[in-house]
Amino acid sequence: MIIFKTYLKILNKNKWIVILYTAILVFFGIFNMKTTETTSTFTEQKPNITISNLDGETRITQNLIQYLQEKCHVKELKETVSIKDALFYREIDYFITIPAHYEEEFLNHQNPSLKIENTGNYQASLAETILVHYLKIADTYNEFLLSKEEKLTKINETLQLETDITLTTKKDTSAFAKSTAFYNFANYSILAGNIYIICMILASFKNEKVEKRTRISSLKMETLNRHLLLASGIFTWVLCSLYIMISFCLLKESMKSIYGLLYILNCFNFSFCALSIAFLIGSLVKQKEAINGIVNVIALGSSFLCGAFVPLEFLPSFVLKIAHCLPSYYFISINEAIGKMEEISFQNLSTILIPSFIILLFSGLFIILTNWLTKQKQRIA
Amino acid sequence: MFFHNFKYSLKTILKNKMLIFWTLAFPLILGTFFYMAFSNIMESETLDTIYIAMVTDNEESAVVTALKELNNQTEMIVFQKETKEVAESLLAEKEISGILFLENKTNFVIRENGIKETIAKYVCDEIIKMTHIIEEKINVTLKEEFVENQKEIEAIIFRCMEEMNQYFQNYVPNLQNENHSNLNYIMIEYYTLIAMSCLYGGIISLMAVNQTLANMTEKGKRISVAPVKKGIIIFSNVIASYCIQLFGLVILFAYTIFILKVDYGSHLLKMIALALTGALTGVSIGIFLACIFKIKESLKLGILLAYTMFNCFLSGMMGVTMKYVVDQNIPILNQINPANMITDGFYALYYYETDSRYYQNLIHLLLFASFLLILSSLRLRSQKYDNI
Repeated sequence: MIIFKTYLKILNKNKWIVILYTAILVFFGIFNMKTTETTSTFTEQKPNITISNLDGETRITQNLIQYLQEKCHVKELKETVSIKDALFYREIDYFITIPAHYEEEFLNHQNPSLKIENTGNYQASLAETILVHYLKIADTYNEFLLSKEEKLTKINETLQLETDITLTTKKDTSAFAKSTAFYNFANYSILAGNIYIICMILASFKNEKVEKRTRISSLKMETLNRHLLLASGIFTWVLCSLYIMISFCLLKESMKSIYGLLYILNCFNFSFCALSIAFLIGSLVKQKEAINGIVNVIALGSSFLCGAFVPLEFLPSFVLKIAHCLPSYYFISINEAIGKMEEISFQNLSTILIPSFIILLFSGLFIILTNWLTKQKQRIA
Repeated sequence: MFFHNFKYSLKTILKNKMLIFWTLAFPLILGTFFYMAFSNIMESETLDTIYIAMVTDNEESAVVTALKELNNQTEMIVFQKETKEVAESLLAEKEISGILFLENKTNFVIRENGIKETIAKYVCDEIIKMTHIIEEKINVTLKEEFVENQKEIEAIIFRCMEEMNQYFQNYVPNLQNENHSNLNYIMIEYYTLIAMSCLYGGIISLMAVNQTLANMTEKGKRISVAPVKKGIIIFSNVIASYCIQLFGLVILFAYTIFILKVDYGSHLLKMIALALTGALTGVSIGIFLACIFKIKESLKLGILLAYTMFNCFLSGMMGVTMKYVVDQNIPILNQINPANMITDGFYALYYYETDSRYYQNLIHLLLFASFLLILSSLRLRSQKYDNI
């Protein structure tokens, strides 16, 4: 019990680090909540655009603006915001300037120009598709019908025609995308929290004076090690449970489904692996000053390389090859697979069982390495 | 005296492994992580070709012909004819974005919501709308020309279809693109990295100045009673810190330019001026914290690290959007943030044609550093101890 009490005392001294990593995770979770709308029916994506109208209240121009307002998120930027900054930081993806005398030139079949600035991304391509779609219909009616009133009616009538859409997936993938993003990010908090705290505590017990006193005490080294392992296991379990509770608070419905249970099991499996990594590093490092650097390199490195901060599909192939050597990659791959899983079947489950087994193998490997290193050190001592 | 102390100060700093890790090695490691994680983001933002399977029982229909024509006109979307079974298996394997069924009724089947699916839907809509326009044109023409002969009717239909298809094919919207070429927002991450490296220089100057303070170290006590000018000792320590920090920045720039292939643009001299001023600001923050607070060195370091990381967070290190959000909503916060002044200065050089924003940041940084140095020097001059 004395070991456990000492463990809690040291943990209490380092509680701010646990709070910090938890706060980062909560902040990310809340930020992530605002991203996508959740739905299981087809919804058109809407790009963010801004329109500068120099043609005034003319009917053709207003009709174009009205259509764009219906199909895009038309953003009114603050007076202090420059269009250049808004495009660079992707607040808007497309900026359209309708020049003066646009309607006049349009009706005279002069094919007037529209000035555009865009980010060149997916959203910008969509905005351009919508704009060109309108211009094509409008120009066709302008070419083949004479009256201005009739043109507007026909343009609007034709724009209402749409293809029937059938969405095959019945699962609300966007809601689960948030859960996946949350648990992917948890990779950083789990690794950093576990490695920092467990290494700090192990380093305290390895302090030269403390170690010498422990050696001459009646306490057996096996008992000390067993109690340290047990206390660390409880800490890891509590930390993992805390993160799972946060996910329940933030993600509610998606976590109450069977897929939520899969996320939880994966989280526990990875936390056990993080515990084994922490013990391995703890057996290698004695200086407390070095722990902060090691935590940053390992936790940040694994998170950047394995897709915790940037989605896996955006990572270059050479990075993905390196990531295959790290347990975080399998943890994140499982989260991704759960997010995209449409039904619970043996075939679908097998896609997450193999990586789960690989994480367990990593844990086993780290435990064997730790034991081997400890024995080597004992022989030298 | 100056050079003697300068030499030993350099040696002391270079022997401190923790200091060297955080000021020299950590920015390089973080830069490598940024490169590995972000190097593909800009490419993945641009639209790939969208593949749509087309299932039809009439290959000669006007819609199928229009879609085939579309394949020749654009690389953005490709319609490929498939059987229903093959198309469904391709959709399940995510090889295609959707299936367009052109049987009795037109139906577009997709797997999930997304940009590609929305773009494909607009293209399918366009085909339906164009077919509707052609039908309207035929009806109007038939009414106008009062023909009853079947052959003449067919000829009119053919003529209208030809005329309209020709029109659609030749139509080019007049969009005048005024795009800026430097739109890579990932550059902000590298700028914040340089800002972090500049401000981390404060750790070196903080520890170097602490060594000369009588209330902090044994060495400080000896210096305060030694018959040497205290100003020269502090000045040589600070210059040694600045030199090591500049050395770290040179390594960081060289590593990001030559190894990670980061393109900082062509304003080399202006970049160097900004980096030198940024490093000076970092040093001045370290000196200020060392002089002002009468607390343990570890606490001073904690304050400095927290201040640096919070400033880097506000200037976009943990998400580029954060810098923009703060700039738009609480601009004062970033106007007094040295990490943002450095980041924004580099951003201005990269993205803006004019230099006014760059010079504004440079002057703000100089004023910020001068203010801290003046306060620190006033504080140091007034320090006297009756006992410690």
